[in-house]
Amino acid sequence: MVKKVCDFWSDDAVSNLVEIKDVRFSRGSRMIFNGLNFSIPRGKITAILGPSGTGKTTLVKLITGQIWPDDGVILFEGRAVCPCSRQRLYEMRRQIGVLFQSGALLTNLDVFENVAFPLRQHTKLPERLIRQIVLMKLQSVGLRGAWEHMPSELSGGMARRVALARALVMDPKLIIYDEPFAGLDPISMGVIVQLIRETNDALGITSIVVTHDVAQTEILADQSVLLSEGVVVAAGTPAELCNDRSELVQQFMRGKSDGPVPFHFPGPGYVEQLRALASS
Amino acid sequence: MSGLVREGWLGFREFVGTFGAFQMFFFRLLPYLPKALLRPRLIIEQIYSIGVLSLVLIMFGGFFVGMVLALQSYSTLVEFGSADSLGAFAAEALVRELGPVVASLLFAGRACSAVASEVGLMRATEQISALELMAVDPIEHIIVPRFIAGVISVPLLAAIFSTIGMLGAYLVGVHLLGVDSGAFWSNIQVRVDMYEDVASGILKSFVFGVSASLMAVFEGYYAAPTAAGVSQAATRTVVIGSVWILLIDFILTGFMLPGV
Repeated sequence: MVKKVCDFWSDDAVSNLVEIKDVRFSRGSRMIFNGLNFSIPRGKITAILGPSGTGKTTLVKLITGQIWPDDGVILFEGRAVCPCSRQRLYEMRRQIGVLFQSGALLTNLDVFENVAFPLRQHTKLPERLIRQIVLMKLQSVGLRGAWEHMPSELSGGMARRVALARALVMDPKLIIYDEPFAGLDPISMGVIVQLIRETNDALGITSIVVTHDVAQTEILADQSVLLSEGVVVAAGTPAELCNDRSELVQQFMRGKSDGPVPFHFPGPGYVEQLRALASS
Repeated sequence: MSGLVREGWLGFREFVGTFGAFQMFFFRLLPYLPKALLRPRLIIEQIYSIGVLSLVLIMFGGFFVGMVLALQSYSTLVEFGSADSLGAFAAEALVRELGPVVASLLFAGRACSAVASEVGLMRATEQISALELMAVDPIEHIIVPRFIAGVISVPLLAAIFSTIGMLGAYLVGVHLLGVDSGAFWSNIQVRVDMYEDVASGILKSFVFGVSASLMAVFEGYYAAPTAAGVSQAATRTVVIGSVWILLIDFILTGFMLPGV
């Protein structure tokens, strides 16, 4: 039986890098999170799973302080992400690397300059050292040979690897991968899975993988958190989630088209609507 | 009728809201300006991109406007026996009015639309979010260099427009219509005043530069992150920016003309 998240991880800032406590967030009248509680343990890869529209990307924005929760607390290394000053927020973000689904490389800079960009902005390292660090990071993602290429010359998988090198260049404590497997061919996907695992283990960092790819999560993640309807519905190792008896967990993990998450978008009854059309 | 009034009211409210946001954005940029000047490389890159690359269009426009101005004014001046004043007439019109206004309108169409599209596309492709998450302020890194580059470029482009326009007027007036070359240049020297004409032209083009560049970065920065949003930002930049330029021109001219 999968433990509920509140019980699963301790609220200890030493063992947990990120703690999310009773977070509520809504957009207009739509409630996205209604009392979200879980923690991200240090040094582990945590997968955040959930059907489309459950707010996985919103959660990334909350953790990185791009948006603020209506209620509740998000702690990074035991300190509240918000409310806090812009300076403190930027200080925190220097310890976090985010890999966007699109890569979000700066299109006017080549691969080398994209990876060097955070170093040039935040450090006064000599040029020789910057070159060494950038080439080392590019080597680690297998793209040292593409250092002169422009982002427009890269495939989707290559762009994501360059973005990973850029996310790693400041040696962050936490890396967040937003849908890292979306739209990749099997080889590129294998490369990204391997890179996430190796990066996490070699550098001893903490990783959050936001995805709905159950198969890759089973290979990659140490812990998984399944979100639905604004709360955590299950958490545990991928194997534990696969064996969970909850209908919703089973529907998601086994990819069933109908179940607690309905196939049809909520609306008036089909027969009633047809009758109303016929009579009008 | 009530529907029309309601639409009008909603449109007015939207205009007031946008104008307020526009002003707030301007005040938000101000504290960044001194710091941005300490990193001139970003500004120089943008001056090249939006100023230097607009040069051919501005020179082409100035040349033809000058030639047309000479052709149009000659027929009237000759009736009053003042054909020799053609140079002074063209120079005053170009330096005070046509140079700043037409150069700014061309700049809005060529460069400001490009800036709005570029910044809007950076928003749509998450580059601005990426900067924020790398703890780099996008206002400082993206917006302010483009704004300053626009403010520097427009007066220079307007001056080039006026100069090339005068050459166009000279070519038509002297070589095509037979106006005396010495009278053409000496009348310019006598009539064109450094303060009333040249300085007012520079001031106007500076204000137009602020207005057009601010509109471009504002529309780009707040563009909806979709294809339609980026295209709307570019369109609004050109349309609203051009209307602003003409409106501000009327107000400034009213203040600057002696005896008005």
